[in-house]
Amino acid sequence: MRYIITILFFIFSIQINFSQNQTIESNLNGLVLEVGDTFMPESFVKNFDGTTRNCETIIYYNKKGVFNVGGSIVQDPSTGKIVANEPGKHEVVAVCVDSRNNGDRLSQTFIVTVNYTKTKSVKIEVSDEAFAGSYVPLTYKSVTANGNERNDLIANINSSNTDIVSVDSNGLVKALKKGEATLTVEVDGVKATKKIKVKDSPVISLNISVSSNSVRTGDVVTLSSKMLGNKGKEINNLNPTYSFHGVSFDGSSSASGLVKENKFVADVSGLYTVNAHFGNVTSSTKIKVTDRDIKRDIVQLGTGDVFDKHTSDAWFFEGVDGKDYGVSGTFFDGKAYFWDVTDPTNITKVDSIKVDARIVNDVKVSKDSKICVITKEGASNRKNGFVILDISNPSDVKVLSEYTDGLTGGVHNVFIDNNHVYALNAFGNPAKFEVVNIEDPKNPKGVGKFELELGSAIHDIWIEDGIAYTSNWKDGLYIIDVGNGLAGGSPSNPVAVANYKYKTGANHAAFPFKSKSTGKFYVVLGDEIFPEGVDFFAANETTGFLHFVDFTDLKNPKEVARYELPGYGSHNFWIEDDVVYAGMYNGGVRVIDVSGELLGDLYKQGREIAAFKTGSPNGFIPNNTMTWGSQYFKGHIFYSDFNAGIGALKLLDTKPDNSNTMQFTTDKSFDSLFGAKNLLEFFEILASPPID
Amino acid sequence: MVRFILFFLVSNFVFSQSYFVYVASESDDTVSLLKFENNEINEVERITVGTYPTEIEGPHGITVDPNGKFWYLSLAHGNPFGKLVKYSTESNEVVDETTLGLFPASMQVSTTTGFLYCVNFNLHGSMKPSTVSVVDPVTMTEITTITTGSMPHGSRISPDGLFQYSVAMMSGELFEIDALGLEVNRTLDLENKMMKNDGMKSMDGMKSMDEMKSMDEMKSMDGMKHSMVKPTWVIPHPKQNLAYVAGNGSDEVIEVDLDAWKVSDRFKTGKGPYNLEISPDGKLLIGTIKSEGKTAIWNLDDKKLLGEIKNTTSVSHGIAISSDSKYAFISVEGIGGEPGIVDVISLENYQLISSIEVGKQAGGIAFWKQDNL
Repeated sequence: MRYIITILFFIFSIQINFSQNQTIESNLNGLVLEVGDTFMPESFVKNFDGTTRNCETIIYYNKKGVFNVGGSIVQDPSTGKIVANEPGKHEVVAVCVDSRNNGDRLSQTFIVTVNYTKTKSVKIEVSDEAFAGSYVPLTYKSVTANGNERNDLIANINSSNTDIVSVDSNGLVKALKKGEATLTVEVDGVKATKKIKVKDSPVISLNISVSSNSVRTGDVVTLSSKMLGNKGKEINNLNPTYSFHGVSFDGSSSASGLVKENKFVADVSGLYTVNAHFGNVTSSTKIKVTDRDIKRDIVQLGTGDVFDKHTSDAWFFEGVDGKDYGVSGTFFDGKAYFWDVTDPTNITKVDSIKVDARIVNDVKVSKDSKICVITKEGASNRKNGFVILDISNPSDVKVLSEYTDGLTGGVHNVFIDNNHVYALNAFGNPAKFEVVNIEDPKNPKGVGKFELELGSAIHDIWIEDGIAYTSNWKDGLYIIDVGNGLAGGSPSNPVAVANYKYKTGANHAAFPFKSKSTGKFYVVLGDEIFPEGVDFFAANETTGFLHFVDFTDLKNPKEVARYELPGYGSHNFWIEDDVVYAGMYNGGVRVIDVSGELLGDLYKQGREIAAFKTGSPNGFIPNNTMTWGSQYFKGHIFYSDFNAGIGALKLLDTKPDNSNTMQFTTDKSFDSLFGAKNLLEFFEILASPPID
Repeated sequence: MVRFILFFLVSNFVFSQSYFVYVASESDDTVSLLKFENNEINEVERITVGTYPTEIEGPHGITVDPNGKFWYLSLAHGNPFGKLVKYSTESNEVVDETTLGLFPASMQVSTTTGFLYCVNFNLHGSMKPSTVSVVDPVTMTEITTITTGSMPHGSRISPDGLFQYSVAMMSGELFEIDALGLEVNRTLDLENKMMKNDGMKSMDGMKSMDEMKSMDEMKSMDGMKHSMVKPTWVIPHPKQNLAYVAGNGSDEVIEVDLDAWKVSDRFKTGKGPYNLEISPDGKLLIGTIKSEGKTAIWNLDDKKLLGEIKNTTSVSHGIAISSDSKYAFISVEGIGGEPGIVDVISLENYQLISSIEVGKQAGGIAFWKQDNL
């Protein structure tokens, strides 16, 4: 049979090639279907002289490809029919494979339009009662004849009485005065109506109060209101809305801050007015905000230089012998270095280990300081996994064993907890971590694994109190019980407790911390973004920031704050005693005050205590700071820098000498700035109508 | 004298050739364009590849379109799926890309269908059947996936362009895919059922054959068969209805009669044969002997070993052969921080004649063109 086909091809191939003047004609051209329709495509080849012929083999496919095809448009292989699954304009490619094409490609793309079936009804959700002066939330959906719900259509919304209920050009509905009006929502020619009864606002008076009238930038103020109705009766079942405006003490800066629910925080020092509204009733009060004033000096004590290659993760620990040590990974040749950091002003390399890998991305040390685990990527035999080291004597490190089962594709990050190694198989599908028992470190045994959904990603893992926090790029944070007991999980049976996704889709690291000052439980999620890609041999641009998510209620996480350093991106970080020690790549080490309640933009709020650029003139890329991560250890801030190795910093008690820099005015300067004789007069000068 | 000068000039004009190959460096995310002429190979350009900024994406398979205008590169690591990227040979810049499966590896374009067939090697975790992706390289659309065996590798197309061959490394099978019908046509078990103990053990440390009572015992605890042959490559003969398979685990080359669809011969090699190619004239079979860092050359008429050349460094990987059947270009991975190497071997005297350093873990290699100087 194979010979026959080959001979046929040979015979056909000597025919004159007309394919350049040939086209594919098909009944797919201009085809319009509705969702759920099927259609048998019929296509033929039209020659340059107008004659036609059938094609030996014609293949149809959706130009979006197999990974996107599921819900849109497909060809049923059993019938050959096109099946329209999703609305839109789909590109269906017809490829004619025919010996008469003489090796030339003959294909045609047809646009097939698939429409929703028409709207059959409209669902609207809106309260049937509203108070005068209030906006009325309204949502709507159209329901098609085959039951699909759509919220992508723009409706025409009208009020039967615009003196009672108005509808603005954005479709926002506002109750104006007492009476009744009917709202009509029209989608695709189909209408739905809802009668709204507008009542007079029950609130006659409103009195705002704040938890403090004098705070620093970044301090969160709680707002509350007392609302009174007829005969002075207090109203407790309704909530006002809050807003603010303000004037900065610095004439060249704008007052800025944030109101979220009943919380207010200011970014810059100034005088702020916070307002409570209900209907047409408003109440205001003033809050004076001064600079946070927490800057401190920071100095470099010493470095452990690695200039001939990139340095990756580092870990610092007290050794079995009571001295202090560090271990750092590298890129390019599978090496990890061990350092004596007992005297941070004299960091000394005491040993190194080389494994069959290109990248040792992550290094971790067990709590008893006897075991170190280093990761492998780029092994020559493509068996990566991780290596377990005996570091009882960090000056004489020994390989105990290697573990590769299920991890051959490469391990990017690991964590050691309670005699188990949690190792990420970042490139598998499903993405997963393997749990390996190392009670006998010479004979590690796989005991469990945690797999995410197909197509998900996983990048990093951190474990505290039997809870694993995995960072999963676009899939956000997973909180997994691996022995805490919260959800019955164990190392051999990890159980997911919560998942939190966010918009940047770049979740690279996670660090849990319980605020000492407030008792709230946060998980800080760090992005990693290289907008221009990575060049290992040149300086790189980075972006991304730290997301502070309040997980006090595990089932209801709320992202409340961010630390975003303009021009620089986040990487690995450490939190201790309400202070973040962040490796901000080309932004260096940043020390950030996260005491108190957190809300809004922490950088703008002046919460940064100190900053240090860790690059070296002799670095792998000279003078290019690229702080990988940092760790607070025994009163020092240790770090690793991608281009320079490791180092130690010390935060001093002294404040930076800014005598030669421009100073912002503070409350002492009120008079000179605004001409006021006292604070009361100053408030009056600044008084202005509240923001509605 | 004049005659001699004229002869010299003419012979130089006629016989001086330059050859171009692309080679991918898996641990460096680079592809090198190399030029070989006057018995010396040089790097013309090193192209940084990959788009995922924080990871080594592992360029693995590389092939040149039959029209010579484009080259295609598989990026093994994605998030989680790998990619196929199309480059212009004129500019070496990206033209388009598409997502494939897990660890897309070797591939080739059929001259008949125009489609590219790429195996998804999927070396992650437990063994299970993987797929061959079929891509229309004009629109760069993965138009379908065809399920084959566990860890498929070595995608090569029959000379008539109608069949694609690959081997499943862990399940030890040869697959023939109908390049038009886009489905598996035939499957062949490559295990040597007559094989006796010769001390052979697989790389996974499995029991040797005499320790096993039956072929069923070749199934591991996960229920998947773990092949003793561990085939890593298949190449169909350009002129005969034969194909040759590299038995990486059994240290042999397996000849398959494609008409009868059965194993027609087996001959031993050094340790760990990995890739195989046949010279376009159909006379020579060239194989990389990965574990020994060597390249072997056999005469296909009598299967006689004509030469075994030590490569410049360790872990010999891929093979590209010049269209005039004169030279084999061998990619050699190296270990750890060692650079990758491309060795040039003469197929006339079976000697190493030139080498060039490229990025780390040089693997996929493809012959682009041959020009007159």
